[in-house]
Amino acid sequence: MKILVVEDDKTVGQYVQRGMEEHGFHADLVGDGLEALRLASGGLYDLLVLDVRIPGMSGLELVRTLRDRGLTSPILMLTAQDSVEFKVQALRAGADDYVTKPFAFEELLARVEALGRRPKELAPPVLQAGDLVLDTGTREVRRGGEAIDLTPKEYAVLEYLLRHKGRVMSRTLITEYAWDFHFDPGTNIVDVVINRLRKKVDAGHDRRLIHTVRGVGYVIRD
Amino acid sequence: MATIRGRLTLGFAVTLAATVAALAGALYLERRGSALRELDRRLALEADLAVQFLGQSYILLGRVVRRSVPAIESARDTVPVERLQLEPAVAAYLEGVRDFLLVADTAGRELYLTETTRTLSYPVIERLLALAAPGLGATEGTLDASGDQGPIRWHVRRLPRDGSGIGAVLAAAPTSDVPFGPAELLRSIALVSPIVLLGSLALGYWQAGRGLRPLQQMTEELEAITDGRSLHRRLAVAGQARDEVSRLGATVNGMLARLEQSFASLRRFTADASHELKTPLMVFRAGVERALTHPGTPPESLEALDETLDQINQMSELVDALLTLARADEGRAPLAVEPHDVAALVTEAAETAEILGAEAGITVSVERPTGPVVLEVDASRIRQLLLNLITNAVKYTPAGGQVRLGLEDRGWQVAITVADTGVGVAAGDLPHIFDRFWRADVARSRTGDRAGAGLGLAITKWIAEAHGGTIAVQSRPNRGTTFTVVLPRGHAPAVAPGSEPRPA
Repeated sequence: MKILVVEDDKTVGQYVQRGMEEHGFHADLVGDGLEALRLASGGLYDLLVLDVRIPGMSGLELVRTLRDRGLTSPILMLTAQDSVEFKVQALRAGADDYVTKPFAFEELLARVEALGRRPKELAPPVLQAGDLVLDTGTREVRRGGEAIDLTPKEYAVLEYLLRHKGRVMSRTLITEYAWDFHFDPGTNIVDVVINRLRKKVDAGHDRRLIHTVRGVGYVIRD
Repeated sequence: MATIRGRLTLGFAVTLAATVAALAGALYLERRGSALRELDRRLALEADLAVQFLGQSYILLGRVVRRSVPAIESARDTVPVERLQLEPAVAAYLEGVRDFLLVADTAGRELYLTETTRTLSYPVIERLLALAAPGLGATEGTLDASGDQGPIRWHVRRLPRDGSGIGAVLAAAPTSDVPFGPAELLRSIALVSPIVLLGSLALGYWQAGRGLRPLQQMTEELEAITDGRSLHRRLAVAGQARDEVSRLGATVNGMLARLEQSFASLRRFTADASHELKTPLMVFRAGVERALTHPGTPPESLEALDETLDQINQMSELVDALLTLARADEGRAPLAVEPHDVAALVTEAAETAEILGAEAGITVSVERPTGPVVLEVDASRIRQLLLNLITNAVKYTPAGGQVRLGLEDRGWQVAITVADTGVGVAAGDLPHIFDRFWRADVARSRTGDRAGAGLGLAITKWIAEAHGGTIAVQSRPNRGTTFTVVLPRGHAPAVAPGSEPRPA
């Protein structure tokens, strides 16, 4: 799937572009409204990620023009404005969804995936680590064939770690994913959930899957 | 009285009462003076006539006074007394005098009293006789005979010693005898003035109302304008009339114009601030998050990066809270409502509460209806409300305490309660806990917790009120705190239908 990222801020633009590429998308980055209009009109892209404030042409104008020209690809808008009136404007102009800045990459990715209707093989519904299996479709978790009963937060934390198997995920990243983006518990709530997960997932098994990286966070390894 | 109308009416009434009282007083004094002058003229005339009559009688008869037969006349007389008296034939003429008339001899002793005069009490007669004594200068005056007759006016005429034996003639009359006397006038005034006052009170009330009607109208118009969304409207001011009310109207209009302007610039500011503050935060975030998830980042940097990301999140939260409250002040509440199962939101929050509680050694319990409780809400805002109240409860409850989470469906409304057995809030602090940037004594929270920016409860209150609901708090120091959020069913927030849910 080809994605056009329109964002004039280089740091944010590259963050989105590289993140998308790491998740198997092809992403091009432009920083100008008119350039974006020229590229997108060609119909080469399956999805557009569009910042509202861009030079050359405003994001809303760009959406309206593209829709007038018959472009049907999904458009996701990035905005610093979270007022409802703005969101309504964006959606009426022809955008399909929006993400409010500052956003976590996971959120953007989830929305891009939802809009992009990715082919099944690119988003395996079953995550695995060793003999631990997590089915994202049915939300069933098994280890060595034995079903494990998890609470919603435990499931969310485990799913996040499994999605990034082999990579150390920091406490803040895990908190962001499993809870509302704005939630600040003031304590390391993740540690409690991980302890419980260990009891359910690792206890009674010789091979431990969940590992602590001191001072940083956690990682799941095969 | 609270209203200007009432005060004006009262003012009228007091002024009028004072005027009536002054008028009555002046009238009373005038009337009393003229009645007394009348009386004086009469008494002077009577005395003069009596003197004239006695003088002529003496000339005609040669004798007006005779010696009486000695007799014991009163208890004071020890031997028979021989007295002088007026010739009965002469005296008979004097009986025709209407007022008291008294004739005294040259030594000031009684010669004759008319029939009516004899009805006076002995002490009064004595005092009148004393006034008729020779050698005294005064020819008229008032005798205060209170207790008997009331004040008595008198006129005395002293006769020259012409051998007739008559020393003085005194005419007197009580002032109460004066027709339409002062006392009567006072009674009339007392009777009439309440009626006049009541009538004028009613009239004054009506007039004040009439005079204040333009103000009343202006108040109603202003109420319609200041509901927050109609600042572009202005008061209707009559162009020509340069009276006080239209000047006030013009002043208020000028104020409205400035108010509209500053609201517009505030709106511009919050929009700009959203962008100016959130874009750099996004840039921070992008950099830190990439570094944090990049496989090549050395592990020793990860801890610092994670702490930075956490700080960025807090900063983002603060910016979001400030902008939300700023917009709420303008009456533009960015809420996106959709039907949601509030019971599910409570259950979800309960799990977090239980995790937080487990870490802090606090028991968490939940009480909710078994079925779904569907309500038109902004789910992410209600989630924020629940988590704010829960983290707050856990923060201020010592280990071994309890936090109870409750949801009650009352049909027309839904009540959410978060109760703890924590340190509570001092009664003096209770009215301030929803204030922005207000913080309880930091020492009261469990140690090790990070102090928030002090916007959590302000935002929580805004969320409840933006849903048309209320938030209430009950607390007793060292016994615990209970927050109760009541959300109405069927409340339509100011947000247009068809708006999308805000991204979670």
